[in-house]
Amino acid sequence: MIVLITGANGFLGSAVVRRLTHCDLREIRCLVRPGSDRSRLASVIAESPESNIRLVEGTLANARSIEIALAGVDIVFHIAAGMTGSAADLFLSSVVASKNLLEALRCQARTRVVLISSFGVYGRPGSSSKSILTEETSLETMPERRDLYSFAKHRQEQLFWEYREVQHFPLVVLRPGVIYGPGGSEISSRVGLSAFGLFLHLGGNNLLPLSYVDNCADAVVLAGLSETADGQVFNVHDDDLPTCSQFLKRFRREVRRLRVLHLPFWFTRSLSGALLKYSIRSNGQLPPVLTPYKCDASWKGCRFNNSRLKALGWQQNVSTEDGLSRTFAAHREKVKQPKAQMPS
Amino acid sequence: MVLKVAIVGCGKIADGHVEEVRKMPELACVTAVCDLESLMAEQLARRYSIPAYYGDFEMLLNKERPDVVHIATPPASHLALARMALTAGCHLYIEKPLTLNLRETEELIRLANEADRKLTVGYSYLFDPPSLEAHKLVNSGYVGDIVHIESSYGYNLAGPFGAAMMGDAMHWVHRLPGKLIHNNIDHLLYRVTEYLPDDRPDIHAKGFVRRTVRYGDHRDDLLDELRVMVSGANATANVTFTCGARPTGYITRIYGSVNTLHVDHTNHTLIAEASSYLPGAFGRIAPAFHTARRYLKQGIANVGRFRRADFHYFAGLNTLLGRFYQSIQDGTEEPVPYRDILRISWMIDEIIQQTAGNVANL
Repeated sequence: MIVLITGANGFLGSAVVRRLTHCDLREIRCLVRPGSDRSRLASVIAESPESNIRLVEGTLANARSIEIALAGVDIVFHIAAGMTGSAADLFLSSVVASKNLLEALRCQARTRVVLISSFGVYGRPGSSSKSILTEETSLETMPERRDLYSFAKHRQEQLFWEYREVQHFPLVVLRPGVIYGPGGSEISSRVGLSAFGLFLHLGGNNLLPLSYVDNCADAVVLAGLSETADGQVFNVHDDDLPTCSQFLKRFRREVRRLRVLHLPFWFTRSLSGALLKYSIRSNGQLPPVLTPYKCDASWKGCRFNNSRLKALGWQQNVSTEDGLSRTFAAHREKVKQPKAQMPS
Repeated sequence: MVLKVAIVGCGKIADGHVEEVRKMPELACVTAVCDLESLMAEQLARRYSIPAYYGDFEMLLNKERPDVVHIATPPASHLALARMALTAGCHLYIEKPLTLNLRETEELIRLANEADRKLTVGYSYLFDPPSLEAHKLVNSGYVGDIVHIESSYGYNLAGPFGAAMMGDAMHWVHRLPGKLIHNNIDHLLYRVTEYLPDDRPDIHAKGFVRRTVRYGDHRDDLLDELRVMVSGANATANVTFTCGARPTGYITRIYGSVNTLHVDHTNHTLIAEASSYLPGAFGRIAPAFHTARRYLKQGIANVGRFRRADFHYFAGLNTLLGRFYQSIQDGTEEPVPYRDILRISWMIDEIIQQTAGNVANL
């Protein structure tokens, strides 16, 4: 079996490649952009020099390079996505790139596609913070009112279902929560935001849907190789979830000190409303970074359920305790690295 | 009459166009957007509640009948799209670089004149508040005669646009005659031509590659540093484009026979250089305080503008669009004279030609 991984050098992508080296595969083909950073993949290759990893240079912006990368492929793990930038940047790197991939797949109707989507595609699971977010929770109806990343991921996933309707290829969608681990980002926006030298703690005691990167990679590979997963969606998060407060407390103790301002949800929501009004009144002098709508989606809180993933056979191999210890140790090392300073 | 505006090309800059047009509802309204990749048009229309979006420009022209078309596509397509829009009777706002070369610019202006439609180009920083203030001071005689102009522009290749461009060997910037330099040099040159009236000044340009070899293709040869010396009949100018210097900034210094102005487009400040009238060591101590006082004054003025909700990132674009729409309504002169557009186009050709055979590694 030949598998192709897009975004193979990314945080999750490289973990998926590492996990795939333990499977009996004819070829693990990694699509990498010419001249791009390949340090994560290089580590994976160094760990398993005998593995059948093959790097293919190309970009999802170019139809020809996708065709070359797809030749003979049985499963595509589509992990590449834009994470930051303007709306146009995110749409180009997530949605238009996906469309190019889907167009190239027209000639390969039997190729299975594993899409890494996001929790960001969901609408609010319910009015209560005790509501449970499951795969059956309705999708966002006004994604353009959410953050740009969620907007792009929502359209990306929609695009895959639209094409599947026509092309009938096997499709599995995974929606991870907050993927974390050594080399990942420090603190999710679900916990809070940095502003003016402070860390605004906005998540309060909400559960944080963490997914340790190796656990998430296990889920991706399991669902991708499963014969029964076609047409299904899986929420991906670990079992023993901490609250945002617990995560932040431990981060401050084990990584670095932060000046934290705790803002209760009602206050954040009122502030968001005021910011939105100011943005409108000032003709966009300050962009509406926070709005009540975004606030509800990010910090109202809910509970989570991963029973569908478990029914497929997934189990959490790295406990949250171990995951956090490893992650915070890596962040701590990074903090110790010297930074350029202005001479006095 | 409210002008119906259509935008073709739904990349990053299109957001700025939509937002600025929406601030002048008495003059214009965006009624449709278009992109060859209809998903891009869809995302823009959806985020800004624009009534219609298209993947076909001809269909947009036929169905929407806009009064003004903003062309924000890659430059190689500007002339062809402009021709279609002029044939449909539209006025044109075109992003920089206007065209690929002087010949195309001349043809574009000829077509606009023949169609009796107005044309302007995205020289937006010319209309930023510090630029307009500097222009006013120069016209008032505050700086005396112009002696020299320094125009410098910093670019971050690791920024969102730079990274996307460098990550894609097929990116449209790599297909411009002057590549990355070509896509940015208008911002440097229109700050020079504003004060240097010569039609064909003497130009000496040299390009550099500062980065190390990384891609194994044409991207490794991309010029990332440019120095240009411009000599007119009565004044000179230096033009500096740099990807290596940090922090990235966009600065114009106007040296006059009486005073010198320092325009910082990034930080929205305009400072008249302080000269000391005190003797000896005092004369070397005092200017720092004079300069600090002037920056403080500028900071307070900017806070005042912020309080009045008049401190916008695209202030220059807003003024340029407002003046352009007004010129259409009133039948008056375009905000950017065609003579300046042609002079800049000639200078770009000259610089590209000279740097093609004059490159060094740093």
